[in-house]
Amino acid sequence: MATNLPRYLMQNEPVITGETSGKKVRFSVIDKTILNAAKTVKSIYVQAENATEGGVLHSIHPKVKFFALIFMAVIISLVNNLEGQMCISVFVFILVLMGRINIPGMYKKVLFLAFFFGFLVVFPASLNIITSGKVILNLVSLNQSYQFWIYHIPQNIGFTSEGLQVVGLIFLRVWNSISFSILIMLTTSFPAFIKSFKLVGVPDTFLMVITLAYKYIFILSRTIEETYLALKSRLFQNPGNGQLRKLISGRVFFMFKRSVAQYENTYFAMVSRGYSGQIMPEPPQPLTTKDYMAIAIVVLFGIAVKFI
Amino acid sequence: MHIPDGYLSPQTYLPLMGVFVAVTAVAVKKVKLDVSARYIPYLGMAAAFSFIIMMFNLPIPGGTSGHAVGSAVIALLFGPWAAVVAVSVALIIQALVFGDGGITAIGANCFNMAIFMPFVAYYLFKLFSVNPMKKTRVFIAAFISGYFSLVLTAILTAVEFGIQPLIASDAEGKALYCPYDLSVAIPVMAIEHLVLFGIVEGLITALIVRYFLKSDPGLIFALRNKKGMHHD
Repeated sequence: MATNLPRYLMQNEPVITGETSGKKVRFSVIDKTILNAAKTVKSIYVQAENATEGGVLHSIHPKVKFFALIFMAVIISLVNNLEGQMCISVFVFILVLMGRINIPGMYKKVLFLAFFFGFLVVFPASLNIITSGKVILNLVSLNQSYQFWIYHIPQNIGFTSEGLQVVGLIFLRVWNSISFSILIMLTTSFPAFIKSFKLVGVPDTFLMVITLAYKYIFILSRTIEETYLALKSRLFQNPGNGQLRKLISGRVFFMFKRSVAQYENTYFAMVSRGYSGQIMPEPPQPLTTKDYMAIAIVVLFGIAVKFI
Repeated sequence: MHIPDGYLSPQTYLPLMGVFVAVTAVAVKKVKLDVSARYIPYLGMAAAFSFIIMMFNLPIPGGTSGHAVGSAVIALLFGPWAAVVAVSVALIIQALVFGDGGITAIGANCFNMAIFMPFVAYYLFKLFSVNPMKKTRVFIAAFISGYFSLVLTAILTAVEFGIQPLIASDAEGKALYCPYDLSVAIPVMAIEHLVLFGIVEGLITALIVRYFLKSDPGLIFALRNKKGMHHD
């Protein structure tokens, strides 16, 4: 596939294996810290840059998608019944089907995040210790109920229908919110998306900072990977925790120095191109009929699911 | 620490978004005064560094490893106002690209981790790293700064969670957002941060500051204008 991405961002192989001079060296913390950071950053960049090609959703104006993201996030937060949230799940799924994206890959990520943030954290609220109501499934029966300071432990502990509704509502809210935002990000170039923040009055200065930060992060990802290679090449036995702390603190310091150097180079490049502290915003791209239709569909659906 | 969508009611996330916007506008102006025309690339660099520092795991004594929220160390290295913008940008990128933190909760997350935490960390460090400075004192001050700023931020987050059943319930009293009231949210968040995450944040902050102090103390914003630095 033809791409404008730098070659180092497209390499998936690890830069070096864990074998050194025939002796296996364990680098779990360093791997977790440095290589995983670089890999995550690279995968995000590749995903964001490839988001400019594809299906129907890809061609919709980023401003429309930004509006849709904010509008739907607010609607999702306002819909307080399970039926409404399920309608939103179906609506998002239809959009995903239209999006020509990797559906299993996307929902794997959604499931992981929604399970962790929307289920595990809130699951205890399904018990009558947290949410009072009619117990529909008894789990534990104690000899008597207990009162500790402001906490009441009932004699029979179990799931309540009210508690399960609360858990279901929050889980679906988190699921819908994450799936819709991932869908938008998978079908939109991140820098183009950032420019649409102007819709809600975010000043050009702040947008420029986000755009620069985004670019710096991916430039630094190469430095992180090279750091990992250099570090691994010099280690021939398992370093102790104290040594690891020193090594990783040193890498943070090194990243700071590289960040400062990158910032100074960027500043001089900007000055040489006539920058004097003033931002010259690009002229806005006009919306098309398809964009207006997309706005109408999202707004009508949002109003329907909230009020009908 | 990152609040997802669905946990905070509009009565909570809208005011916090307002405060975040206002404070960030002031922060951009303050940094612009400090570094003039360089402020945009400077803040971009600080934000990228904030993002990356949140991904570095450090081995912690006791056999585990963890990563910092990073707001404390960013505040000490760049100053609290630059940290407001830098950590906010990092959190916005995390929310949009990683799904880490909700869209409606961006204001709340930025208020907690990009405004409250950096200022608490910075002033705690200033308070405990009094002149004349010794490396051990700076290490301890950085630990206290990281530890307490995270614990206090966790308690603030717990209050935001805990007031939800009071301000946003249906007619039958059933919670519509975070179901845990203050009596549950505060002890849970406070205890886990007092005994675990706070220690991780404190150690990471202290270890990084100690390395910077040894290698190039002039890079630490919170130590500039301090005199009498010497080795133990």
